[in-house]
Amino acid sequence: MSRATRRPVVRLVAGVLLLLLAVLLSLAVGSRQIAPSEVFDALLHGGTGDNAQVVRALRVPRTLIGAMVGLALAVAGVVMQGLTRNPIAEPGVLGVSQGASLGVVCAIAFFGVHTLNGYVWFAFVGAGLAAVAAYAVASGGRGGASPVKLALAGAAMNAFLASVVSGIVTTDAQVLDEFRFWDVGSISGRDGSVVAQTWPFLLAGLLLVAITVPGLDALALGDDVARGLGHHVLRVRILGALAATVLTGAAVAAAGPIAFVGLAVPHIARALVGSGHRWVLPMAAVLGPSVILVSDVLGRVLFPPSEVPVAVMTALLGVPFLVALVRRKATVAA
Amino acid sequence: MTQLDRTGTATARPVGYSVVRVRDNSFLLHRRAVVIAAVLTVALAVTVVASLCIGESFVSPTEVVRVLLGKPSPDELVVGTLRLPRLVTGLLVGAAFGIAGALVQTVARNSLASPDVIGVTHGAGAATVTAMTFGVTSPTTLPYVAIVGGLSAAVLVYAFAWRKGLHATRFVLVGIGVSIALGSLTRLFLTKGDYLVAQQAKVWLTGSLNGRGYDQATPLALTLLVLLPPLLWAARAQRAVSLDDDTATALGVPLDRVRLGLTALGVVLASVATGAAGPVDFVALLAPQIARRLTRTAQIPLLCSALTGALIVTTADLLARRVFSPTELPVGVLTAAVGAPYLMWLIARTRSRGGATA
Repeated sequence: MSRATRRPVVRLVAGVLLLLLAVLLSLAVGSRQIAPSEVFDALLHGGTGDNAQVVRALRVPRTLIGAMVGLALAVAGVVMQGLTRNPIAEPGVLGVSQGASLGVVCAIAFFGVHTLNGYVWFAFVGAGLAAVAAYAVASGGRGGASPVKLALAGAAMNAFLASVVSGIVTTDAQVLDEFRFWDVGSISGRDGSVVAQTWPFLLAGLLLVAITVPGLDALALGDDVARGLGHHVLRVRILGALAATVLTGAAVAAAGPIAFVGLAVPHIARALVGSGHRWVLPMAAVLGPSVILVSDVLGRVLFPPSEVPVAVMTALLGVPFLVALVRRKATVAA
Repeated sequence: MTQLDRTGTATARPVGYSVVRVRDNSFLLHRRAVVIAAVLTVALAVTVVASLCIGESFVSPTEVVRVLLGKPSPDELVVGTLRLPRLVTGLLVGAAFGIAGALVQTVARNSLASPDVIGVTHGAGAATVTAMTFGVTSPTTLPYVAIVGGLSAAVLVYAFAWRKGLHATRFVLVGIGVSIALGSLTRLFLTKGDYLVAQQAKVWLTGSLNGRGYDQATPLALTLLVLLPPLLWAARAQRAVSLDDDTATALGVPLDRVRLGLTALGVVLASVATGAAGPVDFVALLAPQIARRLTRTAQIPLLCSALTGALIVTTADLLARRVFSPTELPVGVLTAAVGAPYLMWLIARTRSRGGATA
């Protein structure tokens, strides 16, 4: 193995170990502390004790959903940052997650759809529309979609969509009741069926991303160079945007809007393994779930017996990251 | 500037201005601004009467005027006790947000840097919710809590954004980030707190005038009254700040101190208004912009911004009460639904890359 590939591989393996640790923590820590040996026992041999029941019926689905959501958001963040060549592009910041929420609320309120399989499609439509709208607003005017304009357009989009959502929710008590439980962005209280309904969309999104990897690398060099290298720029953009939309929509439908994972993880991954997408994407795919799971575990132990939703934790952990990013000269000057 | 010849009579004055003399003092009045202020006042009066008339039951305008004048009327309870306190709160909140937005936008020379975009209202909100979950509910202490929260958020944003000078775009980006963090901090305390308090705080957080009355209006009115002299100073100081830095310094304006003063005034006003009605989003952004486009002045006009702010909040609250009746929407939902598209429009037509200019 050459030197150039050894470093990313080593870091990727370290990332996988971190993820395994996060999974173990997520299975073991909570209002009922369960020893790791018991966790393994429950997973491998079954068992009917209370602890085994808790692990299999509550913690395993929760951990799986957390891992899937983290994976989807982190990869979506990488793709969005690659497509827009913008360091602060992210599903939460751009209002894409909020768009997906609005889609879900509409599905519940106006179309009587109550299963994840049903409203995930509405989430896709909402996410797609919000992404296109935010980007169109930001790229209007002469300066193009600079980071500050993108962030502002996203903030405006977030505020607008949130007001529409609360308008619908406050006028319809039944919707409020159903919506409230995933509104904040949490991975608790979901059962195994959510996992079963989410993974096909996750897989589809990841396949789309896999197709666009060479194109994303070329796009980093600029549209003209990418075209010169023989890439179909428009096709890469459309496929990439589709992938990001599917991933974000699936994540939001499963867990509600969770911000900052898609922002922070790609930057960390790039700092670790360089900017080539064939390394950044797997690294992000490993780190994203770890971040979500660790945030979730922190949320569980912070204020017992009540739990802090994972979205609140990621926002608190992610904002210092955004501030640091903004203070770097390149972001504002771009 | 008005130039005076030896005999002391004005020979030249800026286009569109008139000179008003009171004994030895003279000052410039923008004629169009005066007309617009009058028009806004009339519009505001109409909205005031309309919001007092319209509700679950309709009260005729003559009865409303009778109640307002303090004459005995059968509708005393509905108009005087139920609708009037809420309306007064709305008027004061709107005016305070309008002035706050005008001041901060003047200092930042950037229409995007209004208190609701840069995290002041979220800071005041987070502080208030935190205080509420810890059992502080007295309406006399909450405004102070809000001021402390708003000021801390402003200082925090300022400190984070400062890096060899204050770059407007960095300021706005950091402000957005800090707003998000404070928003989730608020949620954190909501999950920790008592269920009833949480419910109450949630309504408050969307910016609602429902159930607001003189308890909330009084501190706000007092703040506005106390701040009136500084505001008169601000109206003068504004002009100096809107010059470019070199000219202002050459004219002997202590720029840094003036900026600090104007910003502090704006932050305090926005915080107290938030303390009264919750974060009613986008009023502080919209009102000064609309006012300035109406008056076509070089600076953002303070009085007209206050009137526009009051007009926006009262109109929005009237609509929020009636559009989906019997359900009431929080007024903040409505202002956001109007304000956010305006912000997007502002971004879309930006010419420079440094962010939209006023």
